Amino acid sequence: MNGTMQSVATPLMDRLIARTVRKRVPLSVHFDLTYRCNERCVHCYLDHVDHGELTTKECIEVLEQLASAGTLFLTFSGGEIFLRKDLEELLVAARRLQFDVSLKTNALLVTPDRAEMLRRHGVRRVQISVYSAEAGIHDAITKVPGSLQRSLAAIPLLQERGIQVKLACPLMKQNLLAYRGVMALADQLGVPYVLDLTITPMMDGTHAPLEHRVSVDALFPVLQDSTLQSCSTKIVPEDGLAPAILGSGASSGIESSAYEDLPCSAGHNSCYVSPYGDVYACVQLPMAAGNLREQSFRAIWADAPALERIRNVRESQLPVCSRCEIRSYCERCPGLAWMEGGDLLGAYERACTLAEQKARLAGVADPVSAWRKEFSAEPGVPRGEAVAACKHESAVH
Amino acid sequence: MNATAGGIWQKNTALAWREIDNETVIISPGESVMHELNDTGSLIWRSIDGRRNAEELAALLVDEYDVTMEVALADTLALLEELSSRKLLVSGEAAPGSESR
Repeated sequence: MNGTMQSVATPLMDRLIARTVRKRVPLSVHFDLTYRCNERCVHCYLDHVDHGELTTKECIEVLEQLASAGTLFLTFSGGEIFLRKDLEELLVAARRLQFDVSLKTNALLVTPDRAEMLRRHGVRRVQISVYSAEAGIHDAITKVPGSLQRSLAAIPLLQERGIQVKLACPLMKQNLLAYRGVMALADQLGVPYVLDLTITPMMDGTHAPLEHRVSVDALFPVLQDSTLQSCSTKIVPEDGLAPAILGSGASSGIESSAYEDLPCSAGHNSCYVSPYGDVYACVQLPMAAGNLREQSFRAIWADAPALERIRNVRESQLPVCSRCEIRSYCERCPGLAWMEGGDLLGAYERACTLAEQKARLAGVADPVSAWRKEFSAEPGVPRGEAVAACKHESAVH
Repeated sequence: MNATAGGIWQKNTALAWREIDNETVIISPGESVMHELNDTGSLIWRSIDGRRNAEELAALLVDEYDVTMEVALADTLALLEELSSRKLLVSGEAAPGSESR
C-alpha cells in the first residue's frame, strides 16, 4: 500500500506516454496565442493578421478545459506571444492550473521585467528562434535589423532567473551552413538546440515558403555531419539539457519509443490549438477537428472524426511505407504526408529522398525507397523537389 | 525535515502536476525532473492542503484501503518526508482563506 514515488526521467516519461496514449489523455498541447508577429521571416507559414483571436476569457476557459482533460505540458507559441497584451494574465491562469509551461518566442520583447514576470509565473523553458550566429544572415531572414542582437540579449535575462533556454534553428537556403555557428553559440551559452529541416506551405496553402526550402541534395553536408544526432530528445531530460538534435521544432508532441506502431503523438496524447480556437492533432497536420467556440475540448478530443482518422494510422499498415526496406532511416511525418502528398497514409517524395540519402550515408548500397520503386517510374508522377500536392481542409498551414 | 503525525504540509506552489489515471506526475521546474506517485501516494498528494495534518491524511488511507492506522501513518510520514526532501512540499499551514491545491 506504500505511497511510492520515482524520479528517473526516461522510464517515467515512457511510462507516462504509454499510459496517456492508452487512455487517450492530451498530455501535451501546443497553443498558439496569436499569429501576429513583429518579425517577417521569409519562410513563415502564417499571415500575421488577427482574424479574431480568442479573448482572454476564452483562452482561460480553454486552459481550464485542457487541465480538466489531463494536459500537463503546455506550450504557448505564435506568431509572437509577447504581442498578446494579456500574456501575463494567461500565465497566471496556467500557473493556477498547474501546467508545465514552455514558451516559443523570438524574444525581441523580452526585458528584465518581462523575464522576471516569466520566472514569477513558473515558466520552465523558453525556446528562441535563432537562424544564425551571424547578424547579417539572421536579420535577413527575420527582415528586422538588429533582431539577432535583441534575441540573444534575452538569453542571459532568462538564464539568470533559472529559466531554461533552448535555441530553435529552422534551416533553409539562406542559412543552411549557419547551423554550425548556432551549435557553437548553444555550446557557449550552455543551452540545447534543435535544427529543423521542416519548411511548410503557408496556412492558406500557398507555397511561397517552399522557395526557401533546401533540396535534399544540398542537405548532404548537414546529414553527413557526425556531430548531429538523430532526433532523440526527451522533454524532461534528467540534466535539463537535451542532446543536439535534428528534428522538428514545430511539433507539440514528445519523442519516445513508447509510441511503438503509432507515427507520432499527434491526436493520441498531444494536439494543437490555434488562436481562433481551432483544434488540430498537430500544427503540421491541417485537418481541423473542431472549434472551441462551438464545442467543448472534451467533445472534440473524444469524438472528432478528423482525430479518429489520425488515430487509426499504424506505421505497420501504411500501404507503401510498411514495405520500405529503408524505413529505419525515414522520419515520415503524417502531416507532411498530407500536405505534400495529399494522403495521410501515403509516402511523400521528400521523406523518401531524405531516407535514401541517410541510408546511403550509413553505408547501405543503392538504397531505394518503396515509394520510388513502386511509383517513380510511372508517367505523371513528379520527381525532384516539386511538391506533388497540398490539400488543406482548414486554416492552419 | 522529519514529518510528524501533527505536522501540516503544503504543496510547493512552483510545481507543475497532474493526476492521470490515478497516478500523479509532478515536474520540478528548476531541475526539470519528473516525479511520479502511485495511487495511494496520489490520494495523499491530492489531500495535502495546508490544513490536514499527517494523521488526518493517514486516516484517508484507512478509509480507502484495508490497512491499519499504524501502517497508514507510517507510510504517510515516510512519503511526506520523501516529498519534502525533494522540495515538493513545504512545511506549514496555508494562509487563512487560501487553498493549497
